[in-house]
Amino acid sequence: MRFYAIAVYLFLYIPIGVIAVFSFNAGRYAAQLQGFSTQWYGKALSNPFVMEALQTSATVAAMSATLATVAGTLAALALQGVTGKPRMIFDALLYVAVMVPGIVIGISTLIALVTLFDWLNPMIAALWPVAENAPKLQMGKGSLIAAHGMFTMALVVIIVRARVAGMDRSLMEASADLGATPFGTFRQVTLPQIFPAILAGFLLAFTFSFDDFIIAFFVAGSETTLPIYVFSSIRRGVTPEINAIGTMVLAASLLILIIAQSILQRDRRAKTG
Amino acid sequence: MTNRNDFISREKFMAELYRYKKGSVTRRYFLGVTGLGAATAVLGSAMPGLQSAAWAQANIGDRVVLATWPNYHDPANFEAFTAATGAAVDVNVFGSNEEMLAKLQAGGSGWDVFVPTNYTITTYVGEDLIEPLDLSKIANYDAASYNQRFAGPGTVDGTVYAVPKNWGTTGFAVNTAQLGSNPKPTTWKEFWDMTMADFSGRTMVHDYQLTTIGNALKYFGYSFNSVDTAELAEAEKLLIDAKPHLFAINSDYQPSMRSGDAWMTICWTGDGKQMNRDMPEIEYVLGKEGGELWSDFYAIPKGAPHMDAAYALINFLLDPAVNAKESLFHGYPTADARVDALLPAEVLNDPILYPAQELLDALEFGAAVTLTDPNRAELMARFKSA
Amino acid sequence: MSTRLRTSLLLAPATAWLLAMLVLPLVVVAVFSFGERAAAGGYSAAFTLENFANLGARWAAFKNTLMLAPAGTLMCLIIAYPLAYYLAVKVDPKWRTLLLILVIVPFWTSILIRSYAWIYLLGGQGIPKLISTLGFGNPRLINTPFAVLIGITYGYLPLMVFPIYVSLERLDKRLLEASADLGSPPWRSFLQVTLPLSTPGVATGCMLVFILLMGEFLIPAMLGGGKVFFVGNALVDLFLQSRNWPYGAAVAVALVVIMLVTVTAYMRFTRRWAGGRDDVSLM
Repeated sequence: MRFYAIAVYLFLYIPIGVIAVFSFNAGRYAAQLQGFSTQWYGKALSNPFVMEALQTSATVAAMSATLATVAGTLAALALQGVTGKPRMIFDALLYVAVMVPGIVIGISTLIALVTLFDWLNPMIAALWPVAENAPKLQMGKGSLIAAHGMFTMALVVIIVRARVAGMDRSLMEASADLGATPFGTFRQVTLPQIFPAILAGFLLAFTFSFDDFIIAFFVAGSETTLPIYVFSSIRRGVTPEINAIGTMVLAASLLILIIAQSILQRDRRAKTG
Repeated sequence: MTNRNDFISREKFMAELYRYKKGSVTRRYFLGVTGLGAATAVLGSAMPGLQSAAWAQANIGDRVVLATWPNYHDPANFEAFTAATGAAVDVNVFGSNEEMLAKLQAGGSGWDVFVPTNYTITTYVGEDLIEPLDLSKIANYDAASYNQRFAGPGTVDGTVYAVPKNWGTTGFAVNTAQLGSNPKPTTWKEFWDMTMADFSGRTMVHDYQLTTIGNALKYFGYSFNSVDTAELAEAEKLLIDAKPHLFAINSDYQPSMRSGDAWMTICWTGDGKQMNRDMPEIEYVLGKEGGELWSDFYAIPKGAPHMDAAYALINFLLDPAVNAKESLFHGYPTADARVDALLPAEVLNDPILYPAQELLDALEFGAAVTLTDPNRAELMARFKSA
Repeated sequence: MSTRLRTSLLLAPATAWLLAMLVLPLVVVAVFSFGERAAAGGYSAAFTLENFANLGARWAAFKNTLMLAPAGTLMCLIIAYPLAYYLAVKVDPKWRTLLLILVIVPFWTSILIRSYAWIYLLGGQGIPKLISTLGFGNPRLINTPFAVLIGITYGYLPLMVFPIYVSLERLDKRLLEASADLGSPPWRSFLQVTLPLSTPGVATGCMLVFILLMGEFLIPAMLGGGKVFFVGNALVDLFLQSRNWPYGAAVAVALVVIMLVTVTAYMRFTRRWAGGRDDVSLM
């Protein structure tokens, strides 16, 4: 049993080890080891396109995850009181949102928005005082945030709703009986109970958006997210710079995880001790 | 370029340029401390592409986005361009003209410069996707020095939409160390027959309908550009029969050829030259039946976000000295007599770059109809998904 | 403010979002699927059923997807189940969190980069070279369906481990001890106690992986050398190479319909199955 587990972990980590080893390759070609060097880390960090792609990815992920978490949480709370046909329709929408493959979301959003913008832009230009200065709707960060957020909002609703269903309702009634406003009850009673689910939903939404390639590939217009940058680098012929980026992203997430873990543990010790 | 009195060192100039780019000094300070004349003089001697001072007078921004083909540029030239202008070059690589067209049709490509092939330009003009060029901003383009056979397709109805980058041929590369008892193939018939016999699992074809379908048509002796349904049906049968024997369908075949995973591939001039230079056993062959002769261009898509930088980059790359460096690196010939004058004799006599006349005579330029013909597009898609 | 009004207001943003970014695009795709390809590519309005009649031309892509997606799901399940069992039941609790984290960490490196590592590992200089040095012939791995299967198994394994782990973790170990005390051999306890308890986790994990695999594009593109085609690859090709939007829309509609049918059927089936087993385990 133990050997089996070790074998699975090797399966998971050998490719990552390969990535990390080649990131220290002195040579230009990713597939031939030619001595040790850290130059690719410097190159990656000073490459303006990498840094900008990272920034775009982080902005889109933060914006879409925040909006999705707010809208999704509100919906999950409201759904408690919704039954019958409206409930069925909303549930069906969520079901479809989660099930439609990302590639279909990407393609359908692209053709819908391109068609819509082609139709709207002349109208905006006609209404604008100076036609040349009229704003033009086009694909970009906005469309990407909207597309990512749609999918991740559905995830947030599902996660938070499960928590809402398991919530202790008597507390809320007590709060209302004691004269608290609905908002006061929400802030002081409901929110603390569902907060772990909201946080989990936000993190999931952020991770999804940050790592997504296929929706962004179609919907991002001229914007470059980190996965899109990596994809185009692979086509350009991989240099160890890509390996360096991958290794750094991994190291950064590990670091965050270790910090979070140690804070949690100190917290737990403080509570029990 | 005579004013060398107020010369400042290149390092000092770069330092000031860097400070200016970072915004820690004003433009006026920058121009004052360096002196425009000095700047042009220093860079003029260091970077031949920047002899025109136009770039220095206009701020071209910090970036330029280029959509091009695999293994088609010397990275050192981009670095020189960035060092001189402050604009970094973002290179996007594509494997087919269809892919470039699809991206432009969907809108918002974000490209400033792209590299279309001769036969596609009329379609870009028809679809209103390409910007007419202001040749006054491309001082290094001297129409008279270009071979009209290769430069001509850039002009549509008297308007110049594209200026020539390189020309070349589409043949195949074969690793002769793996031939065994086979003679070295010299025809497309042998290319496909060997693929389905001793080279099974070792051959690559482009992910590009023009060349892959075109060279399957050549097996039967049909035109590379055929859109005849009966002829295409025969080509499709050949492709579907060959598919299980292919190593991959990919326009970037150098890594697999170099690693020894693949032994034979449809190949462009420069890739053939690059591989042959490092591994002499990989030879470049033009099929005797013919195939493609092509000419690539620099062009600017409609609505390019960094128009000034686009012109600056094209102008830089067309400087004969820069262009000669490019050519030496990537192994594609140019149609510019000024560049040829700078190339060593062994390059000008290289049979990979400049094939024998009887081989060239059999080649065809791609035809515009192949880009938009729905049957060829669908045939390629069926072949890939089969 | 009435409860009804408040509920509507709370639901409004989510509903508007779903309508604008899910329903509208899907409707546009459905409409486009009846259109015609414009002369230079793209869409031109028309009403024809030809795109659907031609779906057979992508049969190979659908067949590949419908074979490799379940195969990949099954591979994930086979590899993940023993690991999840080990983590939930066997391992020293003090190592458990660390080992769980180690399962999820690879997920944080872009799937693109991880797949690239497999291009190297499965290429001629990687595992095949090792095998031939050991004298077991010279197999070709890269650009085969097998390479794609390895890639998707590797890519989605963590998504299978977690749901199964969660369901097994709730397993009351006293049940197993009781079962052993009553003289039942370990395999029997496993079949009668452990396995039924883990079915919800297995069902969730399988569905998650299956849904993602049905829309897969990247891994076949990278490890299949353009030869192993999923529906996702056919779609990308139709939009980014042949620019046949209406036909691409028809393929997308077909994919969505297939998914709705299979996933709905699967959920019905597993619910009944899990329900049935629940009764058995309660006895």
